[in-house]
Parts: sequence; C-alpha cells; structure tokens
Amino acid sequence: MTGRRGRTVVVTGLGAVSPFGTGVKAFWQGITAGACAIRPITLIETEGFRSRIAAEVPGAVGGSARRARADRLALTAASEALDDARLSAAERRDAALMVGAVGGGMLEVEAWYWKRWRGAREHPDAGRERPGAGRERPDAARATLPTSHADVLSWRLGLEGPRETVVAACSSGAASIAMAADLIADGVVPRALAGGADALTRICYMGFNALRLLDPEPCRPFDRERRGMSLGEGAAFLVLEDAESARARGATLYAELAGHAMTTDAFHVTSPHPEGHGMIGAMREALASAGAAPADVAYVNAHGTGTAQNDRIEARALRAVFGEGGVLVSSTKSMIGHTMAAAGSLEALATVLAMTHAVVPPTVHLTSPDPDVPFDCVPGVARAASLPAAMSNSFGFGGQNVTLLFRAC
Amino acid sequence: MLKRVVVTGVGVVAAGLVGGGQTLTRWLAQVPSPPSDHAVDDTLLAALMDGVDARRASRVSRFTVAATRLSLADAGLDDAGAAGFVLGTEHGDLHSAIEFAEGFLRGGPSGVSALAFPNTVMNTMASAATIACAAHGPALTLNVRTVGGELAVARAAHTIASGRLDVALAGGVDVRNPTVDATLAELGDAEMRGEGATVLVLESLDHARARGASPCGEILGAAWRGLPARPNGVGHRAESRAIAAALAEAGLAGQAITWAYSSSSGDGPRDAWERALLVRALGSEITVASLARRFGQHAGLGALRVAAAAWSAGSGRLIDPPVDVAPGPGLVHGIARGGTHVALVVGPAPDGVAR
Repeated sequence: MTGRRGRTVVVTGLGAVSPFGTGVKAFWQGITAGACAIRPITLIETEGFRSRIAAEVPGAVGGSARRARADRLALTAASEALDDARLSAAERRDAALMVGAVGGGMLEVEAWYWKRWRGAREHPDAGRERPGAGRERPDAARATLPTSHADVLSWRLGLEGPRETVVAACSSGAASIAMAADLIADGVVPRALAGGADALTRICYMGFNALRLLDPEPCRPFDRERRGMSLGEGAAFLVLEDAESARARGATLYAELAGHAMTTDAFHVTSPHPEGHGMIGAMREALASAGAAPADVAYVNAHGTGTAQNDRIEARALRAVFGEGGVLVSSTKSMIGHTMAAAGSLEALATVLAMTHAVVPPTVHLTSPDPDVPFDCVPGVARAASLPAAMSNSFGFGGQNVTLLFRAC
Repeated sequence: MLKRVVVTGVGVVAAGLVGGGQTLTRWLAQVPSPPSDHAVDDTLLAALMDGVDARRASRVSRFTVAATRLSLADAGLDDAGAAGFVLGTEHGDLHSAIEFAEGFLRGGPSGVSALAFPNTVMNTMASAATIACAAHGPALTLNVRTVGGELAVARAAHTIASGRLDVALAGGVDVRNPTVDATLAELGDAEMRGEGATVLVLESLDHARARGASPCGEILGAAWRGLPARPNGVGHRAESRAIAAALAEAGLAGQAITWAYSSSSGDGPRDAWERALLVRALGSEITVASLARRFGQHAGLGALRVAAAAWSAGSGRLIDPPVDVAPGPGLVHGIARGGTHVALVVGPAPDGVAR
C-alpha cells in the first residue's frame, strides 16, 4: 500500500524521550555526537542472560508514578511535539492520534504477575529500584494493553480525532506515521499526532536473549564482526499536518512526508525474506508515491539492527533500490539500541532532523565494514551533507516493512 | 467515500458457528442457541490448518488463519495477493505471553522458549494469517478494547475507498484465557466474554464486478473518533462525531437509520453510554441489536456484526432481539472504555451484483 495522496503532508512538531534523555535537543545532540547510550541495564535483573546491557532512558521519567513507564514516556514525548507545533486546544481536538506500541505496560504487569500468580517465589528483581515496586495490584493489569498509551494521551492531551493503536512489531512507530499521513492526505483530519513508545520489559529481553540475537557488547550495525542487537527504550512523536493548513497558521515546517509504503513479506514469523522482496517493495513504493527517483534520496536511516541477517538483507535491498554505494546509510540503533515500537518514530525524527540540520548522524562502533554492505555507513562521526530527500526504513517480526520518505520543504 | 466498498467474503470462527458466508446466512436465518460457555470447538478448525506450522501457531493464530481461509474461499479468491490485512484484537496472544513468562519462572533464562517469543507480540496472528494466505499488502494489527473488529473493518474500508487498495481482509480475534478471565473478574469486569475470529473480504465494487464476485453487503460509510473518557473509564458526552461522519460519508441523514447493531455486552456504564450516543444521533425509536449474548464479547464480534448487518439490511430481520425492521441501511456501532468510538453504515449488496 502506498501513500498516494491528495493533500501534501508536512511535519510541524517533534517530541522525543530517548536514552539520551528527555527532549528532541538531547536526542539530536546525542546522536550527532556519536555517543553511545547502551550501558549495563538497571531496570531488570539479567543474571544468566547472554547480554546484560541496554539503552535505558536515564533519570526519572516525568508524570504520575501511577502510570506505566511506557505511558509516561509516550506522554512526555507527545506533549513536547504538540507544544512544538504550537497547536491550540481546538486544533488539538480535531487531531488524529496514531500510536505504535508493542509492550504496553508490560514492565509493571510483569511485577504484578510475579507477585500475584507466583507469590511464593521471590521476585526476580528483588532489591532493585524498579517501576511498579510496591504497587503490584490488579489494576496494573489494566495498563498491559498497548492501547493504554493512546487512551492516556487522548485523555491528557485533549485529542478527539480518529484514534488507533497499531502493533506492527519493530515497525510500529513508523506504521503509525504512515497511517496518520493517509488520514491527512485523504482529508479526514487536518492534522495528527503520530509516533511510538516502548519501555524495556523482561519479556522482550528474555525473548531476544532466547533467540540469541542480543550482542553482549553494544551493537555494531554493518560491521563484519557484529554479533546482534542491543535493546533500548523511548518514545517519539511527530505532529503531521496538511501543508495548506500548516502554512495558514504560520507553523514551522520541518519537512514534507512526501511518500510512504507498507508491505508484508508473508514469508516467516521472525526472518525477513532472504532476498528482501518486501523491503525492496516498500522502498520502491514509497519512492513512487512521492514521485521521486532513487537518485533524489541522499540518505537512508536504516533499520540497521546489528543482527547478521537483518543487516545483510537490508543491504541487499538497498543495493537493489539505490545501486551499490548509491546513498549514505547509517543506523541510529548503534547509539540508542533497538527501541522496539519507538524505533520507527525516533528514527523518523532523526531523519527529519538530519535534513533540517544538514548533518547525517553516524553509525558508531563501525570499525570493520562488512563487504556485504556496499555503502558509506558514516562510521563513527556525523557528517555534513545537504539532504533534499531522505528515507527511514523500519522492519518488524512478521515481515512488516515500512518506509517513510521525507523531502525538504 | 470515493470508491464504493463491498463485502465479498465472510469467515467466522465462533462458539457454535464455524464457516463461511453460506454457513453464516443459515445461522442468521435460524439463530440456534450457541454453547453457553461461548467457547469454540477447536476440532472444527483442523481441516483449515493445512500447511500451518503447528509448533508456532498458537490457538488465537489458528482462529485467525481459519477465519481468513474461510473468508477467502467465500470470496472465491485463491490467495490474498496484494491485499491488505487489518486485524483488531483486545488481548492478542496473552496466553502465549503468560506461557512464555512461566517458562522463565520455572527454569530461568534457559527455561524460555525462543519459538514462543514471537507469539508474545500482538501482531503474531496477522503474521500467521498473511503467511498462510500469502497476503503481501500492509498488515495492521489494531489493539483496542471492545471495538477491535469494527475498527479494523472501518480502517480497511477507508483504505479501499481512498483507492490505496483494491482488496483488504479485515476483522478481529480474541481467545479466552483462565488467567486473563480471573484478572478481569478481580477488576470488576462485567462483560460477557467470549472468543472467536471473524474476517471479512472487502473490495472496491469495481474490483468485485471485474472479477465477477458476488457481494453480500456494502460499507456505505465508516468513521472512527475518540470521545473524552479517562483511560478505562466511560465518558459523559453523548454527541457522536463518528456517527455523524459515517452518515455524511454514506450521504444519509440520521432519520434514515432505524436499526443498529451495538457493542453492548453487559458492561452497564459503557452500555448506557452507547445507548445515549445512539439515541442522540438516531433518535429514541432506534432498534438496537447485539450479538454479545450469543457469542460473548471478543474482537471478532465487531466484524461479525458488520456481516450480520449486511444480512439484516437485505432481509429486514435483526438478531437478538429477533424483530423485523425496514430493509435498507443500518448502523454498526461500537464504543470502548477509554473512548475509542466506531461507526459503520452498512447496506445490502448493490443491485445487480448480489449473491
């Protein structure tokens, strides 16, 4: 499905909570400094796991402690985006709300479940400072569902337009942006708040550990010595708007969301199609929907997880679309880990900022480039570059591929 | 809507009802009593699981695959091709998530099943179905309380109406789990819970005509909005922008709608809120039907209500209460705690192409 459109969709507000802290500024400073926020994990006990590191959001997360950590991450980032867009209460009321989510309030529910159903056992995080400690009561279970984020945001921020929570695994955040853009392009709403949020959870950590996909060291996307991914957490939201309406109210136009596409591999539950058919389809459809040629795109913010398989297949797909070395490529995950449902929106945000600042964030820990990745992956240090158009790729379990294509306004 | 959207296939997996469009039509005409526990007989699904990886597919994924295959067969489609897939769910595969966590509790990190992990992500059902049916379009899993099926159908209908897709499969699924049931009971949940999956094949009318398909109904308008309500709470506002938008899309006034299938399911405050929304938008004479007493509430029920509404629009007969109404368009409506709110105007099959 491509983003064929009537109205032009632009980005007018940005908000983020990342492993570099609260705010878009902290995020941008972190990723352009080439800093790595992947450190020993503190939120959950990891004794016996292959990896014991992750990119956690540092310090106290704002908002009521009664809310799930992921809800608070979402609320903080969404509030920043709406403030940045300078929307009035009436303008917010009509806005659509599209949230990409996976874990929901699972971090708190895990604590409750351990206590409620396995009460005789010592909690696996006994003695730790952990969210949900001391409040392991059934109503924590209400926040389990991914849809909780949208309900909290809608209630707290006064959003009464179309509301959806999309679960598309690791492409959820990007999918939310694509879905919101469709509603604006079709004239259903003049604007939307879209993005993703996820907190680290034990289940997620256990799962990727069991799949042996976690690197014990900070991940090294596109490096020939890469050994897997690092997990992270965070949230990012974008305000998308009909360009005409945005210009009329004097909004800041960061970029145009010129095209997007979503495809499905229909191949395997966890593995991407070995030839990258779905990825290629998503990139080509996004280009087509924008009326753009591959040569128009100067930079791709890759999915770039650091697993042997993903990076190899993504590189194959990029080569099919852009030709060998035809575009700058970098992986934000090398600095903030894989933030699951937030990844697609944090990386969309990184892509938009790269265009507005004319700086490509680097891929850190890339010291020995993989010959199967025939692209300049911007190792180690950010690079100045004019970016008239840039692409963000997100791929998820279930073969869910989402490509967003931004163009300078 | 820019393009007319029709329903050309139905697949249902519910308590006492597993089949495609013909099976559903027979059921609607007779309305036999379903099993009182609202549980699906899994043995009825075995024949629909050919080629599905039994090691990985959980029960909720099997429901989804079965309903999807039934709907494709009903629509006369061999595979889904470039179709989109939109699936609503409330609980996803929580059963697998609980089993997965139990593995860790029993055996630590080495007790965790790598095979089971993908099932803990809520898009696992859509993933299983798209693989089983070779659907390469966008696959969206929408998580929401109560109205997952309606929301999925509305999103899919909009996507077809706007010209982005010719065909989409849309519906919902949920299964029951003892731990989830016990937790919800502890929280005071009063809904009549059930389980099942319903998947509809939606197509643009042009596409359906071109391939000689026979629609069983038409989506005349679809809209979804948020109403103010605390998370998991019910709101007080009775003015529905979703119903107004759906009616506008259908080109109908509120007086043209005399009956509706609602999401009423035994949750007193939420049911009262929904009644107020319907009365404000459509008048106090509106006849409101529900299927929750028959099957128990689950995300597939919303899509089943759309299929039932298409039948009612043609036959002039409602299910529960079993009363006669004026044939013609009716409303399928749902409101969730937290305020997600969906309205679809559903009509009979267009003249000249009905099955």
